[in-house]
Amino acid sequence: MSETAEQADSGKPAVPSAPGVLRDRYTVRSNQPLPEFATPNAEAFVAEDKRDPNRNLFALICRPDLQPRVNIMRALKGATTMGFVPLVDWGTMLWPPLGRQCMTVIYERPVGKKLMANLRADFKRIDEYEINRRVIEPMVAAIKELTARGITHRAIRPTNMWYMDEGGERISLGDCVTTPPAFDQPVAFESVESGMANPVARGSGTFSDDLYSLGVTVVFLLMGRNPVAHLDEDQLLKQKIQQGSYNTLVGDERLPLPLIELLRGLLCDDPDQRWDIESLDLWLSGRRLSPLQSRLERRAARGFPFNGREYGNCRELAQAMAKNWELAIPPVLEGKLELWLRRAVEDAERAQVIAEQVRMALNSGNDKRAGIDLMLCKVLIILDPTAPIRYKGFNAMPDGFGSALAAVMAQKGDSRLMAEIILRGVPSLWFEARKSYLPDNSLMEGNFRELKGYLTQTGMGFGLERCLYEMNDSLPCQSPLLGEEYVVELKEMLPALNAAAGKRSDAKTWPVDRHVAAFMGARARSDIDRNLVQLTDPEPSKALMAMLNLFAVFQYRLGPESLPTLAAWVGGLVGPVVGAFHSREKRKELEKEIPKIIRRGSIVELYNLLDNEEAHSKDKHEFAWAQAQYHAADEEVKRIQTESEDRGTEAVRIGQQTAAVLGILIALITTTFVVIAKVW
Amino acid sequence: MAKKAAPAKGKAKAAKAGGGGVNKVAVLMVLAALVPFSLPTVALLFFTMLPTMGAWASERGPHKYAWLCVGGLNFSGVIPFLFSLWFGVHTLDESFSMLSEAGVLLWAYGTSAIGWLVYTVMPPVVASWISFTTDRRVAALKAAQKKLVEEWGDEVTKKGA
Repeated sequence: MSETAEQADSGKPAVPSAPGVLRDRYTVRSNQPLPEFATPNAEAFVAEDKRDPNRNLFALICRPDLQPRVNIMRALKGATTMGFVPLVDWGTMLWPPLGRQCMTVIYERPVGKKLMANLRADFKRIDEYEINRRVIEPMVAAIKELTARGITHRAIRPTNMWYMDEGGERISLGDCVTTPPAFDQPVAFESVESGMANPVARGSGTFSDDLYSLGVTVVFLLMGRNPVAHLDEDQLLKQKIQQGSYNTLVGDERLPLPLIELLRGLLCDDPDQRWDIESLDLWLSGRRLSPLQSRLERRAARGFPFNGREYGNCRELAQAMAKNWELAIPPVLEGKLELWLRRAVEDAERAQVIAEQVRMALNSGNDKRAGIDLMLCKVLIILDPTAPIRYKGFNAMPDGFGSALAAVMAQKGDSRLMAEIILRGVPSLWFEARKSYLPDNSLMEGNFRELKGYLTQTGMGFGLERCLYEMNDSLPCQSPLLGEEYVVELKEMLPALNAAAGKRSDAKTWPVDRHVAAFMGARARSDIDRNLVQLTDPEPSKALMAMLNLFAVFQYRLGPESLPTLAAWVGGLVGPVVGAFHSREKRKELEKEIPKIIRRGSIVELYNLLDNEEAHSKDKHEFAWAQAQYHAADEEVKRIQTESEDRGTEAVRIGQQTAAVLGILIALITTTFVVIAKVW
Repeated sequence: MAKKAAPAKGKAKAAKAGGGGVNKVAVLMVLAALVPFSLPTVALLFFTMLPTMGAWASERGPHKYAWLCVGGLNFSGVIPFLFSLWFGVHTLDESFSMLSEAGVLLWAYGTSAIGWLVYTVMPPVVASWISFTTDRRVAALKAAQKKLVEEWGDEVTKKGA
């Protein structure tokens, strides 16, 4: 057993400088950091492969509050495709410096350096004669590979690209799995829409987003510097909106015509017109296309005054309004925006739709404030349909909503806004505004509707926790019950609870809380919602049986066969279930049997023992019969006691009757004897 | 109608009472006719069965059981002498001769006294017996209840839903 595992088993606190061990194979040296390999949100350390000590590896330790892209890890593990720094292995590991389980990703260490140490550093430019061979071709191949696997990289930038050889001939993309998609990307490398979204909520996006990032990377590499280093992120985004991405990044720089064509195609701000893989292939094969001209939104005849500034087009104005939510409401409600659209932008159609939205918001019934917020959200969508979902300062692409919720909940932030967005159906406003049909959008819209259903149920297994796990397939269970255990898959849940069972302090605590229940609900392949509803049944025995049923089903289906500590935990809680039997004899029988089952660690057997419908029915009937017998006896005793006076009278009457009968009998017998005596 | 119904009812009652009266009169007439032929028996019975008649006359209420008990024993004391009269000399002299014997009246009145004794003692005996059996029943019921509580707990004492 590894030394870290030994420490964990012995219960001693982990030494901060002790190494972490992944899968009993990779030793991660916590005292040997590799800052040059670190990403903005994942520290890098020396990693050693016990089976092959000569391998040059490094490990990235993921931040516990950020959701790593486990699906991408699965897809990239062991991939030998050129164009990626090889992802050797990944998994959770007890990380001594943090004293908890952390997601760890092992990469092969590139021989060369990063293309760009940081975004402000100058570096040796790659000229137009080499950039095709050294950068564009391998990157296009890499993006093709990703597209074939149905995934996106979302971290293409020169500070995340490595020379894989001494000569600097082979370039590869670095890590893209340790944080949510595009979380580490500076705004310069993100399209306008993605740049508007909160970094954690940019979503996986499409290959088109990767191609945009590639375009920006090519600009950087051609220039040997960051052309927008003098702009902060807000200014950069604003400039991209006003002038277009190409003009902002390339500006007046003189570039060869073929590269202008490429860059205009890749940096096109209209995602529908942006070059795709086929266009790139054509370009690489030498076929020249006419450069795309950036179609910027028409500027209004006069600016719209808002928050002390004037805005010349709808997209710019919508962005400013989204950033100043409260200030944006009055001019919209007062009709100034509608007027501006009619007169300055000369877009009567949009003005009409906005006027309708305002009218509806003002006439909205009970919750006027909610109606106004929804109205503003819709107005922003009308002004800039390609922008992310923007609501009260929270900006998210629909596919980035899950990672944003995960981050908020992991950081124990205020999740009310997220809940409000789901409950008020804000995403559906965004989906309704799509011009063309996309199956993915329909799927996501359906998912959001389902989430709304979960959110309206407040019981265990539902609520925001359920939404969290439904939206994040690879999010580990956040339950404090699990302690440092890292549970990503349902089959890991029972062993983790079994391990956590030994450390619990309160024997009356249930092994299920809101997170565990929601996790099970989201990860179970079958529909277990009915059982989850029963978890909050006011009758303790029913709630407990629902929990036992869930555990038993999962143990039966997913194993392991023996979970003695968890069985003991659950066994200690079954008092109400045993107490639900009326028969004292049955209770004694169960109390005798339960410890035996606990020793075997079988929750399945425990459930079968307690969920004996026949025994319950028999017990119920026999108890009802016993109750009836008891009350009948009671009634009879009362009757006997209250009828004592009547009984005295009755006794006299019977006594007299008896005496009379006796007298007559004696007379008859005597007469008979006398007759016989006289006759014979 | 009502006026017509009322006299009809009165007539029926009268007819019923009249029918009973006729029967009684007929029986009395038959008995009276037999008296000349069995005067010795009647004389013997009249004097020896006086306690029975006393019992019948003294008892009040709807149910008269004392004369049956006293009469039964009284008759059992008289019957041997009555048979002696019937199978011996069935004359009024013989009847009075018997009555003048102390043994005859002693037997007759002694047995009637026993009858009275039986009649007096029987109700308390029956009351004691009934009390004994009900006490046993109550004890048995309470024991059964206790057993039910032991087997099912205190909930069994509550009224079922």
